Amino acid sequence: MTDAILAPDLVIMFRAISARMTEDRDYLSELDGQIGDADHGTSMAQGFAAVVRALHDADLADVPLSDVFSIAARSFLNAVGGASGPLYASALMSAAAFAGDARSLAPTQTLQLIEAMSAGIAKRGKAALGDKTMMDAWSPAAHAIRTGLESDLAPEAVLARAAAAARSGAEATRAMIASRGRAARLGERSLGHLDPGATSAATIIEVIAAALCATGKMGQGPGSS
Amino acid sequence: MARLKPSSVTAVTPNPETGIPLRFGDDPLLWATWLYYEEGMTQGDIAEAIGVSRATINAYLADARARGVVNIQIVQEKFQSLTVSNALKDHFGLEDCMVIPTDGGDRPLTQRLGAAGAHVLSKLMKSGDTLGVTWGRSMLAMAMAMRGRDLQDLRVVQATGGTTAKIKWTPEACATRLAEAVGARCIPISAPAIVSSAAMRDLLLRESVLSEQFAALADVNRIVLGISSLRPESTIHTSGFFDDARLHGDYVEAVGSIAGRFINARGEPVVGPLDARTIGIELSALRKIDQRIAVAGGFDKVPAMLAALRGGYVSVLVTDSATGLGILTADSYVASSRRSAPAPVLDAPAPRRSRVKKLINNPSAVVDESLEGAVLAHGHLIAPIGGSLRSLVARDGPRPGKVGLVIGGGAGHEPGFLGYVGRGLADAVAIGNVFAAPPPDPIIACTLAANGGAGVLYVYGNYSGDVMNFETAAEMAQAEGIAVRSIVTTDDIASSPLENRGGRRGVAGNVFVYKIAGAACDRMLPLETCEALTRRANAQTYTVGLALEPCSMPDTQRATFALGDDDIEIGVGVHGEPGVARQRLGTADEAADLMIDRILSEMNPSEGDRVAVLVNSLGGTPMMELYVINRRLRQRLKARGIGVHATWVGHYFTSLDMVGVSLSLLHLDATLTELLDAPCNGAAMYCPGPSH
Repeated sequence: MTDAILAPDLVIMFRAISARMTEDRDYLSELDGQIGDADHGTSMAQGFAAVVRALHDADLADVPLSDVFSIAARSFLNAVGGASGPLYASALMSAAAFAGDARSLAPTQTLQLIEAMSAGIAKRGKAALGDKTMMDAWSPAAHAIRTGLESDLAPEAVLARAAAAARSGAEATRAMIASRGRAARLGERSLGHLDPGATSAATIIEVIAAALCATGKMGQGPGSS
Repeated sequence: MARLKPSSVTAVTPNPETGIPLRFGDDPLLWATWLYYEEGMTQGDIAEAIGVSRATINAYLADARARGVVNIQIVQEKFQSLTVSNALKDHFGLEDCMVIPTDGGDRPLTQRLGAAGAHVLSKLMKSGDTLGVTWGRSMLAMAMAMRGRDLQDLRVVQATGGTTAKIKWTPEACATRLAEAVGARCIPISAPAIVSSAAMRDLLLRESVLSEQFAALADVNRIVLGISSLRPESTIHTSGFFDDARLHGDYVEAVGSIAGRFINARGEPVVGPLDARTIGIELSALRKIDQRIAVAGGFDKVPAMLAALRGGYVSVLVTDSATGLGILTADSYVASSRRSAPAPVLDAPAPRRSRVKKLINNPSAVVDESLEGAVLAHGHLIAPIGGSLRSLVARDGPRPGKVGLVIGGGAGHEPGFLGYVGRGLADAVAIGNVFAAPPPDPIIACTLAANGGAGVLYVYGNYSGDVMNFETAAEMAQAEGIAVRSIVTTDDIASSPLENRGGRRGVAGNVFVYKIAGAACDRMLPLETCEALTRRANAQTYTVGLALEPCSMPDTQRATFALGDDDIEIGVGVHGEPGVARQRLGTADEAADLMIDRILSEMNPSEGDRVAVLVNSLGGTPMMELYVINRRLRQRLKARGIGVHATWVGHYFTSLDMVGVSLSLLHLDATLTELLDAPCNGAAMYCPGPSH
């Protein structure tokens, strides 16, 4: 079971996300200022800081992994509100449902957490690809996970593909016109601007990939557990 | 004027037949004017480039001035397309590019693009050509606009198989019409574009008829192609090429389609199960055709067109200036400083004033500090729940057996929300960040505080954030055994057409809905009755807003959108959402009429009907002007024979510092009138009750 992802690995992952969102706060807010109300960086930094605080305060000894994600979901939601609060809370609740009672996850199952998170956001937000939202990063990442697992790649390679797909998806939002959310007001003036939600999503997926690889447990091929 | 060396003439590729690049049409005067004023060439160099005498150029330039081609205003208009076309050509290394004005004439853009495409094709095609053509609206429009040029031995080859879809612009129709128009022999592809299996395709391709037709397709030396977006509104979803929703999972990367094949944002082919079942030209073969003329436009196509340009599927582009500019912007194109004057069309207009003055200590603390002050001001009416300023309860509100009324939303609408908490109004309010919905926890805290055992009613505006957070809270409350009913307010009639009432936003008319709901709950009516009355109030409330100046956020202290110096926006939302029309600001009466006309035409009141009126400031418009608007409103209502039962004028539901006004009318009946008159006591609304 040494190859399995455990609760402390997830806590380290959330810490890494939080640190990176704090670092990127001004950049993301600046992106948002061009097409939205300039609070995206603050929301994401506050949200994941709240997650880290809540996980720090919780007793995580021998809890199912779903608890880690539920705590994360609830703390993120209550720190943020608005639209990104419920969307990320849905992502994390969907991950909680996927993890279920398990105390550990095999590497390939861990990858599917990203698919679960993407599905949670899609179900809650109902945005489609090309709408210039965070789905333009999450959906390609989930697709890369699905096809990577089908083609029997090592988990580490699948994660790298997912991170790259998320980033190029986020980059592609430059050519899109926002049709949902408040940026929709800009119409064609949103062209040329990166979507801040897609940008932060790509960063989060990159950090997840890096954090999971750093555990040293993702180099195995499928079938190991 | 700074002049460049004549070497810059190499940037302009003359059309082999006329010597004039496509984008100048047939007008040497325009070309000469462009080379002189925009390329900075001397008259002598221009004469050499065009192949006429220097005196002719001199005459052209004089004529251009006389005809106003170089008049400042006309030049801006005329040269915008030229600038965009030059930029597209340089940036994507195109052989040529024709850009038509986006707005012009009464014909739809597709038709005008088709006409431009026909113009380009007729100039480029030659006797003996084997022309390929794909399908789509712009292809058909081009074929319809095409006129024969008396060329010989032309062949037109359909680039893909056919479809049985119920569209006019099928591959068969596009190829047939084009062949007829230019007097060419038409070579169809006598098979469906998409067949049931790869084996079926291979079988069909072995048929001699098809293999002959494919041999002609391989001979194509010039192709005209459309570029399809994959957005939900795109015709590709009903074309017969991409109808099967089960396949979409294999094409998530795709942003566009050319000739029934799919490409990603980088222009690389996206290979999926359809490829082996598709009968038609392959992308690798298409790229090798000598000349690839794409005709496409519209903002929804920007990602697809950008991908097609990146992938090298286009060597001649025909589009409109707004789309072209959009493509350049999306690809982070920066205009080079070739000209003596900067090109205004490629730069965003600079805001007049970058920072709006505000009385704040710290942007991230402004909501809590404001709430702290509000609770101190109205401490006899409202109190924090469990020490949190984000959920406030009425001191004289919740009681056993009464339906609890919970309202809420983002901050920035003051006295919105908290001013409507008190006896006869809402029992509790949840407040989020500026223009952002409150999370479920404060809503739950409000629900528990308002619960008197008879159920709780939520009333909130129709915004995705509010809906998600209130829905989550409702699920949690219901799990704890509290019956919750939600009413999403939708009074902004400009935000969506009548057929889509459920998609409308909730704005200042909220205030009427709170009042009716609060009175119903205060009368100890059962939950179902309170819900029904509140729904009726929402259905009978009609609001239209109008902005003179945008609002600015505490975080940025910058305007959230730009309005022209003399412009107003009708139907603007309370967070700056787009309205239905922009026009010049006229008189107050004209502005009032713009709102009143819309409200009356939808409300359709009968003579003798009665209404309650709310003339609301969006934050920056003073009472003085609100009264002027009210004056006009009363004139109009009187002329229509409508009685006014109550008039509220003031800052009832604001959008920070937005300058503007909203008008709300509540179409009354006996029950609603009684509830409207019921006593209430909140910070922003006080009724002693009907006087007898």
